[in-house]
Amino acid sequence: MKGLKYKIRNNPELYAGALISAIMLLIIISGTIFSPYDPNAMSASDKFAAPSMAHPLGCDNFGRDLFARLSIGGATTLLVATLTILMSLTLGIIIGAFTGYYGGVVDEILMRFNDAVLAFPSILLALVFISQFGSGTWKVIISLGIVFVPSFARIVRGEFLRCRNLDYVRSARLMGAGDIRIMFVHILPNTLPVVLSSAVIGFNNAVLAEASMSFLGIGVQPPASSLGRMLSDAQAFLFSEPSYAIYTGSMIALLILGFSLLGDGLKKNA
Amino acid sequence: MLEVTDLHIEIEDNVIPETVVHDFDITIEPGEIVGIVGESGSGKSMSAHAIAGLLSRRDMKKQGTIMFEGEDLLTVSRSRLRQIQGDDIAIIFQEPMTCLNPVKKVGWQIEEALRIHRNMSDDEIKSAAIAMMKDVEIPEPELRYDQYPHEFSGGLRQRAMIAAALICDPKLLIADEPTTALDVTVQAQIIELLRRINRERGTAILFISHDLSVIRSLCSRVLVMNKGRIVESGPVEDIFNDPQEEYTKHLIAAIPKFQKIAPVPGETRKPLLEVNNVSARYKKTGGFFRPGNRSKEIVKNVSFTMYEGEIIGLVGESGCGKTTLGKTILGMLDDTDGAIVHYSQMPQMIFQDPYGSLNPSRTVGWILEEPLRINGNHKDDENHERAIKMLSLVGLDESYLARKPKALSGGQRQRVCIALALMMEPKLIIADEPVSALDVTVQEQVIRLLVKLNRELGIAILFISHDLKVVYEICSRIIVMKDGVIVEQGTDEEIYNDPKHPYTKQLLQSAGYTE
Repeated sequence: MKGLKYKIRNNPELYAGALISAIMLLIIISGTIFSPYDPNAMSASDKFAAPSMAHPLGCDNFGRDLFARLSIGGATTLLVATLTILMSLTLGIIIGAFTGYYGGVVDEILMRFNDAVLAFPSILLALVFISQFGSGTWKVIISLGIVFVPSFARIVRGEFLRCRNLDYVRSARLMGAGDIRIMFVHILPNTLPVVLSSAVIGFNNAVLAEASMSFLGIGVQPPASSLGRMLSDAQAFLFSEPSYAIYTGSMIALLILGFSLLGDGLKKNA
Repeated sequence: MLEVTDLHIEIEDNVIPETVVHDFDITIEPGEIVGIVGESGSGKSMSAHAIAGLLSRRDMKKQGTIMFEGEDLLTVSRSRLRQIQGDDIAIIFQEPMTCLNPVKKVGWQIEEALRIHRNMSDDEIKSAAIAMMKDVEIPEPELRYDQYPHEFSGGLRQRAMIAAALICDPKLLIADEPTTALDVTVQAQIIELLRRINRERGTAILFISHDLSVIRSLCSRVLVMNKGRIVESGPVEDIFNDPQEEYTKHLIAAIPKFQKIAPVPGETRKPLLEVNNVSARYKKTGGFFRPGNRSKEIVKNVSFTMYEGEIIGLVGESGCGKTTLGKTILGMLDDTDGAIVHYSQMPQMIFQDPYGSLNPSRTVGWILEEPLRINGNHKDDENHERAIKMLSLVGLDESYLARKPKALSGGQRQRVCIALALMMEPKLIIADEPVSALDVTVQEQVIRLLVKLNRELGIAILFISHDLKVVYEICSRIIVMKDGVIVEQGTDEEIYNDPKHPYTKQLLQSAGYTE
């Protein structure tokens, strides 16, 4: 059929995004598994050590291996973003499915509440949660997870509204299928292309949000590393040791670039 | 006047270039009506749009020449092309709902070509538009001039489209399936209007249609297209009476012709479905500013009885409530009155649009087995076997089980829909316009399939349709509906040969059964 060359020409974002994301994941995974250094082990003699065979990217202000810390930091950031998206996606799909399929009063109430949550900037809202419940990795995940629910609920609801009166849904109803089965077995698979691309884009936002919160010092707590936290540390040495900030910043930028290209590509395919 | 030679059209988007029209030749003399006939995807619209200059010059590679009064429309400058478009060549489209701008007054839209091509004062333009509206038989043109498209019915919109196309008195009018979306009675009127315009104004018409009987009644010459090529061309009567090519013969044989497909079996008189004084309403819930619920009665006091193994034709024009009646029988509506008695288990339904009625993200096998799973049968082997059996019954083999609906043609999809309806072994199938979205040759196959199922399995079919020819072919009893009421019902003999109600007579006349 159509060759890979045509596919790439047709949707370069998808393939470029997949490539960049795959490389970043590979770096993070290999760094986490194979690095001989404990990312939290300090060594006064290696303070700001220049890149060498022993430390490929050099060391930070406490003499910790930068590559190991970047890998583990990236892994933490990805883990937080993944769990955030999983949580908000699950809740969003359930809320969106019920409101879109049934409509009526419940739909009105939930969607107005949704609008209210959407009206706040997501970081600000997450800050409110953190200030109430305290900081820490799990609390960041839960607060970001709640903040991201409305956007997914809205997208899923729109898809369910579109599908609920199509003939194949009617035909399933005629066979005697129950509402829950119609929603999750018949309609849900049809919303996947749209939901998937928005999940990837949401994943991006989650990475950024986690990084911003850690940067502000309310996310992941030391000594655990996360990209935002490291960027905030690197800021103090921006002029004396710029490489620290540059490595960390590029890591975040490349992660976001890869996943946003991937999201655009998926959207185009959907 | 128009001479197209060796036209090739190649679509060049990002994927693999594809030639959709090959070696297209056509000559049209002034005042002639030429038809192009073919099934969907045959390239007939594409060729006509190329003549009208509507295909993108960048994405559609074209070879050959389109000579119009001494100029090659493929190479002429864009500004010259714009002068010709709308002035010398005009086009009307299939869908009267979408080809008028909903936010502009109809009069304004009719005048648009005049404003672009002629240097006339506003008053002159307006009086020309009103004269044109009168000419295409739009009643009360002065009043209608200031109305918006949503205040027009489908037939009137098509008339407005024709008026807008003819306002500059073009030499060539391209009509792309102009009657396909219209009801049969309106269709006949529009055809008559085109014929009169051609006679009185001498406008040449290039008429594109999939409907051979329309082409036959209107055109003097016809081109038959298949898969991007002209298969056969010549005077209409020659093509119809003595087709040379296999494809043309096939196409002509597939036209429904007021002939019974198979003999009607004897009556059983065992009732299967009783509908007594049924009414159905659609509720319109009031909004925030206009509280209170209003409802509109779509079906009014309808009664009839269906017997085992018969095929009843339920005919009427769009909006007459025939689909709503079908849904009411299936219990899909909430706000209904009257009694519906089923003497068998729940009937199944076949929908009009084969593209919407199969879940696009599941395989055919999954779709077919789903009703069994829903009803609590989880023995996969049994379900699988049954799916294969039903597929073979509708003429598809096992290999289709793994396919998704996207990989099927319209006819194959409709077969899968029928197989799906059969999975539950119903005694009654309600078929809502099951063939009107299909090409004529495919249509014939599906009709024959339905008749076969009726005769071999004894399944009764309530056949909802607007096409009186198809209904005549297969139905033994007919119910005629208008505005939610049954105006007449009886056996096919009674309805076709001795219609009582004037509306039935009008329908039969428009369908060409009576003169």
